[in-house]
Amino acid sequence: MSIVTLKILLEIMFLTIVFLHISKKNYDAAIAYGIQSFCVVLILFNSFQETGNILMLFIVLLTLVVKVILAPTFFTRLVRKHDLNISINTYLNISLTLITVVILTAIAHSSKLLPLTTIIPANQTLLALSLSVMLLALFLIVNRQGAILQIIGILSFENAIVAFTVFAGLEQSAALQFGIIFDIVIWITIATTFVSMLYKHFGTLNVTSIKNLKE
Amino acid sequence: MTPEIGFASLISLFIVGAIGSLFFRNNDKLANRWQSFFAITGSLTGIFFSISQLISGKILAFAFAIPGFPLLSLSLYIDAISAFFIFIISLIALMCSIYGIDYIKHYYGKYDLGALGFFFNAFIVGIILVVSASNAIFFLIAWETMSFASYFLVIYDHHDKENVKAGFLYLIMTQVGTVFIMGAFLLMYKYTGSFDFRTIQANAGLIPVLAKNLIFVFALTGFGIKAGIIPLHIWLPAAHPAAPSHVSAIMSGVMIKSGIFMMIRVFLDLIQPAPTWWGLTIITIGAISSLLGVLYALTEHDIKRLLAYHSIENIGIILLGVGSALTFSSLNMPGLALISLVAALFHTLNHATFKSLLFLSAGSVINQTHTRNMEEFGGLIKFMPQTALFFLIGSMAISALPPFNGFFSEWLTYQALFQGIAVLSPIGKGIFMLAAGSLAFTGGLALACFVKAFGVTFLARPRSEEVEHAKESSFLMRLGMGTLATLSLLFGIFSGYLITAMENIGKSLAVFKNMPAITEASTGQGLVLKNNFSSVSGFAFFVLFLIVMALVYYVTKHLIYKEQKIVTGTTWDCGCDLGPRMEITATGFSRSIILIFKKILQPSIEHEIEYVTTDNPYTPKSKTVILGINDIHYSYIYQPLQAIIKKSSSYVKKIQSGNVNTYIAYIFIALVVTLFLAL
Amino acid sequence: MKFFILLIQILFVPAISPLCLGIIKKLKAKFQNRQGASIFQPYNDLRKLFNKDEIISKDASWIFKIAPYIIFTITLIIGASIPQFTSFLINNYTGDLLFTIYALAIGTFFLALAGMDIGSAFGGFGSSREMTVSALAEGGFVFSLLTVALINGTSNLTKIPAADILSHKQFLLSLALAFVGFVLVMLAETCRFPYDNPATHLELTMIHEAMILEYSGKKLALLEWASANKLVIFAILGANLFFPFGIAQTATLGALAIGIVALLLKILFFCFMIAFIESTIAKYRFFRLPGFLMLSFILNIVAIGLIYLI
Repeated sequence: MSIVTLKILLEIMFLTIVFLHISKKNYDAAIAYGIQSFCVVLILFNSFQETGNILMLFIVLLTLVVKVILAPTFFTRLVRKHDLNISINTYLNISLTLITVVILTAIAHSSKLLPLTTIIPANQTLLALSLSVMLLALFLIVNRQGAILQIIGILSFENAIVAFTVFAGLEQSAALQFGIIFDIVIWITIATTFVSMLYKHFGTLNVTSIKNLKE
Repeated sequence: MTPEIGFASLISLFIVGAIGSLFFRNNDKLANRWQSFFAITGSLTGIFFSISQLISGKILAFAFAIPGFPLLSLSLYIDAISAFFIFIISLIALMCSIYGIDYIKHYYGKYDLGALGFFFNAFIVGIILVVSASNAIFFLIAWETMSFASYFLVIYDHHDKENVKAGFLYLIMTQVGTVFIMGAFLLMYKYTGSFDFRTIQANAGLIPVLAKNLIFVFALTGFGIKAGIIPLHIWLPAAHPAAPSHVSAIMSGVMIKSGIFMMIRVFLDLIQPAPTWWGLTIITIGAISSLLGVLYALTEHDIKRLLAYHSIENIGIILLGVGSALTFSSLNMPGLALISLVAALFHTLNHATFKSLLFLSAGSVINQTHTRNMEEFGGLIKFMPQTALFFLIGSMAISALPPFNGFFSEWLTYQALFQGIAVLSPIGKGIFMLAAGSLAFTGGLALACFVKAFGVTFLARPRSEEVEHAKESSFLMRLGMGTLATLSLLFGIFSGYLITAMENIGKSLAVFKNMPAITEASTGQGLVLKNNFSSVSGFAFFVLFLIVMALVYYVTKHLIYKEQKIVTGTTWDCGCDLGPRMEITATGFSRSIILIFKKILQPSIEHEIEYVTTDNPYTPKSKTVILGINDIHYSYIYQPLQAIIKKSSSYVKKIQSGNVNTYIAYIFIALVVTLFLAL
Repeated sequence: MKFFILLIQILFVPAISPLCLGIIKKLKAKFQNRQGASIFQPYNDLRKLFNKDEIISKDASWIFKIAPYIIFTITLIIGASIPQFTSFLINNYTGDLLFTIYALAIGTFFLALAGMDIGSAFGGFGSSREMTVSALAEGGFVFSLLTVALINGTSNLTKIPAADILSHKQFLLSLALAFVGFVLVMLAETCRFPYDNPATHLELTMIHEAMILEYSGKKLALLEWASANKLVIFAILGANLFFPFGIAQTATLGALAIGIVALLLKILFFCFMIAFIESTIAKYRFFRLPGFLMLSFILNIVAIGLIYLI
């Protein structure tokens, strides 16, 4: 695949993370995460094509199954079971959120972070974009008050890191990807169980009311 | 048997004893036998090892670098001073283990004896490694082992909540001390590039003056906390009484000396040459510690707290010796510095001996009467005559009465101070004079305190019913105490030989090599200072005393009025009925001195009077006087410090919101800032 | 010859001490316009006590029984160890300054313990007061003797009188101050005015007498004798260390005779001084005494400081 295709995939990832910032329904967020993961799968497929490692193909298929199919399914099932569709609560209101998004993207593309984004000078725009996705994912976790969107934020963060490592030319070992997949599987199972337990106990997934634990 | 094998077997015996005790946790008797056996054999090995090292005069240096840890290496450097301290440790551990065999029987069924054996043996191993280590990190590992093992021993009797509190205070203070020690070592590492003591010594010239002074302050604070100098002493009177008595004896007799050992090692060996103000500071601290230690001891009526405060006093006296050694060596007077160092070393040995003796006898008394409060003792000399004799010998030794060993080490310290008064500059003269004055007053006040301690505990009539059920200590306990008592006497009588031998130990430090002999053991076992300033002989006095007293006794008893009748009657009671409340109490005994020093001690006195009838104030039914003393360091230094820490902690607590988002926001901001700064 | 001198040295202090007590009492009587008892009365008192039976309290232990022997032995040994009428008898074993002070402390220790042993209120507070005074007097005692030691360059007391004091003219002020300090301490340690009244048995006024209240018979005799010995020891120390005039420098009969006579005259001077003090001032309140002892300590520090300033 050419640079242009990769760039388009990355831009789709970027758009999904921005969408996650402004989404109001958990169902839509889960679908957006599925799309984002599909982009990552395609990027990994590209790296398989370049390296020809058969193990990578296996990993690609596995990622496809776990991140694109299983994860969003888990989330949507969770949403339907507990009727948690609405999640509009954020700390900053919508305009401030978008302004911060713009600022973070600017930071990622700025000259200050040039040493990071010019690890492989040819891929500079790609790296800058993946870096901005990373920062935006972190900001998502900070900004949102609903537990499910925070979990999705962490998963997007991990997606962005995978993309960054692929474009930065770091060694693509199958074992690494397998480790990531394994970790994700466990994480999702635990997180969903945890979320349902939280909901059962507190009656809400809003973290501001969960802070009763502190007292 | 080469020294390496000797040392290795020494350490392994204790380690086997420690780990093995854990397996016998369910069987009290076996645990007791196992731990005591290994502690005793380990101590005996230690004594033989150290004596052979001292006689051969060779240095045991051993280094084993651990792969994967470039800074840490198992390196040992046992020169004469380390061997001397190992001798002291082993001697006291031997006596306390012998005593412990019967003492810990009263913990059967109540507490876990396997744990006691583990911590006891680990404790001793820790102290031995502390004085032998030659790598700063290895040293810190040994230091922490010693501290933690002793912490667990202090809280061993955890059914009493006071002990747990005391242990906690001890833990905090000792950790604060470790922080300062680490700071000192890190500074040394920064300028000399190594954690190894020998390398630091060789490169000591590379350390700039400001860093050297900072190292001095940190090391003095850190090791001072362990040694128990004023004002860093508040853990000592709380922790030493809380531990089991044979452990208190080792803590008081040996563990606090490890602080002194490291001070000698660091100041006189590693970071020479030293400026004069270091020595003068240590002397001032020593003088203040000894005076305040003995004043607070006078106020105590808990017998073990009293002994703990006396440890502070004697550490002050040892510091007088160390400080003068440092002062003289910085002024290029190695002869006088050597005398001072020998005085400090000899007093270390003597204090270990008589303080352990006192703690062990106090432990026997407490065992029988189930209380530490002296006001409930009395008349024990009739029920425990041999324990009383041993306590008496310990009291005479600690009050520096000849011919016991305390006198001779204080004599040597005095000589060092007198020489200082004679030859130093005016400021030095002034400080040395005040130090000698504090030593004189300390001696007098210690004598008063031990008259009180021995008199109230053992003499006159029993003040409570528990005393009447007291029995003499068992044979093994008496064996431990008796050996220490005999050693006190022997060290005093043969002090001439011992001090000349210790000169050679002192000469092992690089500062003092090639010094001609300063002292000499003359004929008649006397001790003579070479410049003919003074001489004294314990042996001559002892022999003379025995002969003359025998003569006086014989003449009085058998030559004059042989037919004298001696009748037993009651004490003159002015016609009232004699009761135990008519005897002097411990508080009453020291009341005069407390009131004389009330500006320093700040006692509080409350009077309560209960009348027979409320309208007649001339016939009181009872009058209660409550005399209270708080350690002023606690109320003026530590409590305000505690309040400040608490206040600032509750301010800082506000960043802990309990909200996940805030925490991740912290991470996020930190990440962005770091990226900006690093790139 | 030397053996003969040694014998006199050993027997001098116990032989003379009751006589000193008698002289002091006689002088006090004369001050009070009385005849007073004969100066040899204390010898008769001792003989009377030695021939009496004893009563020992059932609360007392072996400390009570052995203390008089220990205390008396200590005074004998110290009496023989200090320089008396010769300056050529050098004692390298027990003649040290610090040794003298701490050996006398052994006596105080056992006396205080004996006072507590009987469990009476008198004995208890007698011991308490005695230890308070003794503890505070140590500083002054050590430092007054130290002044003399530093001037003469040796802390062996028997070597000090050999030096000719007139050669130390520049140290006269130091010696004077140290002497005043020494006298203050001497009055404390020998239980004289203003610290203690040796003639009283009132509860408020006794320190030494309180501790020996329970003794009788031979033990009391030994204790009284020991206390007299201590007085003479202090007088001899004061005389020979601060005013070593007339002391025998050689072992000839003439010098020895002059030495003994000089010593007796100096002791007489001290007795007169004590009698004068006891007849002109009252015993001070107990809590004023630490002030004196501190004064003694400070005077001695000033004395030592003066040695090196000149």
